[in-house]
Amino acid sequence: MPKIEVQEQFFYDLIGRTCSDAQLEEILPVAKAELDGHDLAARVLKIELNDTNRPDLWSAAGIARQLNSYATGEVPLYDFFSTEEETFDHEGRTLIVHESASQVRPYSIGFALTGRKVDENILLNLIQSQEKICNNFGRKRKTIALGVYRSDLITYPVHFEGADPDTAHFVPLHMEEDLTLREICAKHPKGLEYGPIVADKPVFPFLYDDNGEVLSFPPVINSAHIGAVEVGDENLFFEFSGTGLDDLLLSAAIMACDCADMGFTILPVKCMFPYDTPYGREITVPYYFQNPIACELSFVQRMLGQKLSAEEVVASLRKMGVFSLVDSGMVYVTVPEFRNDFLHPVDIMEDVMIGYGLANFAPELPNDSTVGRITVEEAFARKVKDLMVGLGYQEMMYNYLGSKREYIDNMHVDGSRYIQIANPMSENYEYVRPSILPSLLESESVSGHATYPHHIFEVGKVAFLDDEDNSGTTTRNYLGFLSASSEMGFNQLNSLISTLFYFIGAEYTMEELVDPRFIEGRSGRLISKGRPVGIFGEVHPAVLESWGCSMPTIACEVDLDLVRS
Amino acid sequence: MEIEVRNLHPLEIRLLRHVSLGEEITAQRLIEELDYKVGQCNQAFSWLLAKGLLVETGRRNRVFYELTDLGKEQQEKGTPVQRIFSLLEAQGPLSLPDIAFQLGLEKSEVGSAFGLLSKAGSCRMDADNKATIASGVLPAEVLVSKALFDKALQGALDESGLGEEERSYLSKNSKKRGAAGSPFKVIEREDVYYTLNEAGEAARRALELANLTGEELGAVTPAILSSGQWKSSTFRSYSLNTPPARLIPGRKNPYGSYLQWVKDKLCSLGFEEFDGPLVENEFWNGDALFMPQFHSARDIHDVYYVKNPSHAKMIEEPYLSQVAATHTNGWTTGSRGWRYEFDHEFTRRQVMRSQGTVLSAKTLPHAKIPGKYFGVARCFRYDQVDATHGADFYQTEGIVLGEDVNLKTLLGLLKMFAEEVAGAEEVKYVPGYFPFTEPSIEVHIKHPVLGWFELGGSGIFRPEVTKALGIDVPVLAWGLGIDRMALMHLGLNDLRELFTPDIESVRMRRGN
Repeated sequence: MPKIEVQEQFFYDLIGRTCSDAQLEEILPVAKAELDGHDLAARVLKIELNDTNRPDLWSAAGIARQLNSYATGEVPLYDFFSTEEETFDHEGRTLIVHESASQVRPYSIGFALTGRKVDENILLNLIQSQEKICNNFGRKRKTIALGVYRSDLITYPVHFEGADPDTAHFVPLHMEEDLTLREICAKHPKGLEYGPIVADKPVFPFLYDDNGEVLSFPPVINSAHIGAVEVGDENLFFEFSGTGLDDLLLSAAIMACDCADMGFTILPVKCMFPYDTPYGREITVPYYFQNPIACELSFVQRMLGQKLSAEEVVASLRKMGVFSLVDSGMVYVTVPEFRNDFLHPVDIMEDVMIGYGLANFAPELPNDSTVGRITVEEAFARKVKDLMVGLGYQEMMYNYLGSKREYIDNMHVDGSRYIQIANPMSENYEYVRPSILPSLLESESVSGHATYPHHIFEVGKVAFLDDEDNSGTTTRNYLGFLSASSEMGFNQLNSLISTLFYFIGAEYTMEELVDPRFIEGRSGRLISKGRPVGIFGEVHPAVLESWGCSMPTIACEVDLDLVRS
Repeated sequence: MEIEVRNLHPLEIRLLRHVSLGEEITAQRLIEELDYKVGQCNQAFSWLLAKGLLVETGRRNRVFYELTDLGKEQQEKGTPVQRIFSLLEAQGPLSLPDIAFQLGLEKSEVGSAFGLLSKAGSCRMDADNKATIASGVLPAEVLVSKALFDKALQGALDESGLGEEERSYLSKNSKKRGAAGSPFKVIEREDVYYTLNEAGEAARRALELANLTGEELGAVTPAILSSGQWKSSTFRSYSLNTPPARLIPGRKNPYGSYLQWVKDKLCSLGFEEFDGPLVENEFWNGDALFMPQFHSARDIHDVYYVKNPSHAKMIEEPYLSQVAATHTNGWTTGSRGWRYEFDHEFTRRQVMRSQGTVLSAKTLPHAKIPGKYFGVARCFRYDQVDATHGADFYQTEGIVLGEDVNLKTLLGLLKMFAEEVAGAEEVKYVPGYFPFTEPSIEVHIKHPVLGWFELGGSGIFRPEVTKALGIDVPVLAWGLGIDRMALMHLGLNDLRELFTPDIESVRMRRGN
């Protein structure tokens, strides 16, 4: 979930009033946001945003916009968006995408702005928006990279191309050396971090102006000259490059609306592509690309369980900053410029719900009568647990992930049928538990201080490889039990198994077992209905030694799914 | 000090009943008169001292003489003096070496014994230099020693009870250390003297009044019952204040019991349980839930991948095609879809189940309508393990299917959970976000102990989820964060404790 920091006063100015933390907590849910903290010394509010599909909310201006609509019922108006029908004058500002870009990053768009000086708060907010859009929405710059430049220094048209990484060069931000794009990938911290996005491409993205002055190497690093925006700058150029045009247009719309809200004048830029896009080969940005969406009023009423009138629906949507009208039982929604999260009529319905206010819906109990029941596996597990408790055993519950040391080395087995994690976070959680025995022995290894005898068991899941299954694995419900005591041996174990199976109601026989986990001649395999269903025995001293245990130990494990059926 | 005499031990009672005020009490006396063992004497003294019924009046050193192995042998065969005298009486004069040879004694022993005999005038050396009987009367000392040896065989000799001659003999024939070559060993012992004090005397009188003799019956044995002995005896009272010995019972794990309680609660509300395998594929873990394949929660840093087999063999049709089309263009769900090319290779990739909602999705194709389902599912997350994150943990999730379910019934359901499962005092609903539900609602509750916290997330499954899996009615989906309540229930504050391997910690865990 994205988290942002906003400067207290800057935020209060945007919403036109001062709020206590309690008031903020009250109103933030409208934006699916929560107050995550308030640094009173730095006068900074920390806000967490829960809707990963609403990047327009990931800034002070974005949250303020939503809160303002909710408070006033006004849909915000932005008059700088070109549409399919109407194109604003770009006044000579153009961005030309070259054919070569298609080999690495097919789209680049931009817009410019002017009208007020960048102050410290604005700079902080621009940097934060850039980071949230690139990292959270743009998947760590993979699909969206956003750069801000000093447009005073730019001579239009700006060019975006796929350049030869070994000849294209410039001085990157925070460095003094003139480096090729490939050298930047190897030497610059941002190159090391983001270079891999394009490293395997024949050409690298390259943004420069008509004089050949370099703006940046997207998605890696700006130039040290045009790309170094500072407090006091008044004219900026925003460029967005990436793999999906809609995401870029949405990002540009969000940034443009945010900047307009902060008092800037947005200046359109004509973006020209050498190939067809859904919106033509020339797009003047900011561009309104969203399609209207509609649904039946009755659908909204049915899903919400409340007969809202047409007026109530329209008013609720206005509070969400969404313009709509209802005609002949249909709700027609104009999607706001800064949003692209209306996939289905249910998305309209949810905005109506939030706008109307959740507190205004009275909870009702579902009146369908259904029969509750636990699974047969659970019912059987309970029976087995009761038996084990009656036999004097303490139920344990364990984690299902463990290390090679625990599951393989200490057990003296080869682990060839065990499920391994491909991307373990640490070697402590590298394997899925194939057996309850290592879990029980881990208990022994850490419980030398616990009064003996130890009688412990678990009924739980294990999983291991199984070619028969579609997944190549199987998950099974097992019973495992263990006793560590100077008085427990093979004969007591035999009695326990006999008692257990009598009450489970399963016939069984035993056959000899050679297994490194047990002492040979004091272990066996349990057979029921011709199938192996378990193993038991005196735990081998070598295994006990590996676990650092010095008390004689017996153990048994039974596949409850096989015994039950 | 008030003493409940009924709680006195028989060893104490018999002692108290046996002595009177002012009398000297020693272990020796108890051994002789009450037939106590030394250990029993010590027990009786220490208990009575602790209770303040007895006081120590003094200590005295006493000397005892005990037969050594040599002494025991001499008691049986006689001392060298006796044996030489007897031999000469029987065989007439013999040379000293002959005597040594015949009696198996060292020459030096024979020499010193003969010296003693000749000094006492009992024997003399004849002209042939052979030992022979002189007076025919043994030295007085020999008679003394014989009696001492016999007496010492019954037990160590108390110096205070010996006569002058006996003491004199023993002082010559005993050693404190290195006594192996002497017939007697000297043992010094400190005797402690006790006497009853006023409280002890009062206790003694109370015992008499209560008619307690210390001969009351202890443990009830089958013999006592079958012989009818109990009819003519009384039973000794046992103390209620004895600290009980610890028992370690067989027990269910309290966390498991809590989960079982939750399951039973949900069953009572009409929910049927579902379950599933730990290894899932991307299709069910994410795609079927309409999470786009590029969604950040599906990153390698959020989900555990299975190394081998890395991919499932196949994904069930028609769900695969329907879900794929829904992602790409919405299929017939009324959605515009995520507008990207669905990756059929990625969808088969296997992961460790990362959310319980997987099981809800898998239940949909064969769910009853109306239907209510739930599961308590072990899930796995790529997370740094700490007090609030486990590598694997339980999620409690479920669904409600019905023609008439809607937002208001969802709120009603959440209210029911809040009250029935969490014991909430107040309930608050907040808009939330989950990729697979629209609308999405978080339910916050005011718990009598924990205060306000988020109990769970919920919503109505997006039609992109339900329609693609063949369901045409609205489906409420919910998940409850019951771990927080489980921790409270168990008096814990660290999630890792729920799955602790520490036996003692689990044994002592109570649960509320």
